[in-house]
Amino acid sequence: MTDKEILDLYQSGQRERAFTEIVDSYSERLYWHVRRFLCSHDDTDDLVQEIFLKIWNSLPSFRGESQLYTWIYRIATNESLNFLQKQKIRTALRFESISSKLEEKIDEDTGVDGDEAQRILMKAVQRLPSKQRTVFIMRWFDELSYEDISEILGTSVGALKASYHFAAEKIKASLEKNIK
Amino acid sequence: MRTGKDIFENIGKDRPSVPEGYFNDLKARLYSIPAESAKTHPGPWSRVRPYLALAASFAAIVLIGNAILKDTTKNQSSDQFFGENSYADIISITNPGILYDFEELDVEEISDDDIINYLIETGVRAEHLAYAGDQY
Repeated sequence: MTDKEILDLYQSGQRERAFTEIVDSYSERLYWHVRRFLCSHDDTDDLVQEIFLKIWNSLPSFRGESQLYTWIYRIATNESLNFLQKQKIRTALRFESISSKLEEKIDEDTGVDGDEAQRILMKAVQRLPSKQRTVFIMRWFDELSYEDISEILGTSVGALKASYHFAAEKIKASLEKNIK
Repeated sequence: MRTGKDIFENIGKDRPSVPEGYFNDLKARLYSIPAESAKTHPGPWSRVRPYLALAASFAAIVLIGNAILKDTTKNQSSDQFFGENSYADIISITNPGILYDFEELDVEEISDDDIINYLIETGVRAEHLAYAGDQY
């Protein structure tokens, strides 16, 4: 079902059915999107439920000014960044750094298979500044277009391309240094 | 060994694994959000109730404060009020220059009648006026 059909369904009063269609279309994609940020299956599982609760509660105020697709991704991205921000404060209070905490999670995450290169890649991604990390995840892993990322993050395409370029360069350098 | 520009592309985008059947389980949990939300979502009365309680508390404080204020002020007679509040004028009558530094101004001389009229206007009792008249 397309986003337009889902919205038509919602506006015709079949709200729960429309929401079911959103779950079918987006739950798996959003799970992977969030997991790239959080690096933990359990945290992602909790946050995805919160994201869909937020989508359900916010659907009445969705005016169709943006695509449903970008609106949903915006909620998921903001929630992921807020989650990381809260974790950053918590870890700072314990005199730890968020990136080392996330690296620990990558090592502990039983879901990450034995591919060492993937581990190093994910660690390099977590060391990026927040903006570059967000753009890299959305472009490289989620394969979103720059136009869609621009609509989701409210940033110009030029700025996104620059952020992606810097992020990719840093990751390449990290991979070359760590992969023998 | 992976080196150079290809290193980035060669790594690929392998996804970490998830427990078997996880996405079906996740979807089942997400489908139940509207029903769960309806159970826990507060109705209009529940949303308005805290604001009404706040408004009622505020109104009660105002009413009680007003009642206390009325109770304490009604026991005070007008004579007591003037008795307590007229003394400040004595200074300005006897020597206004102390307060207002009028000494250098060309102030018109105050007559006895002006003084008596002023005392009448400010509510000084007749006995006091008669006493003042005797003095002159």
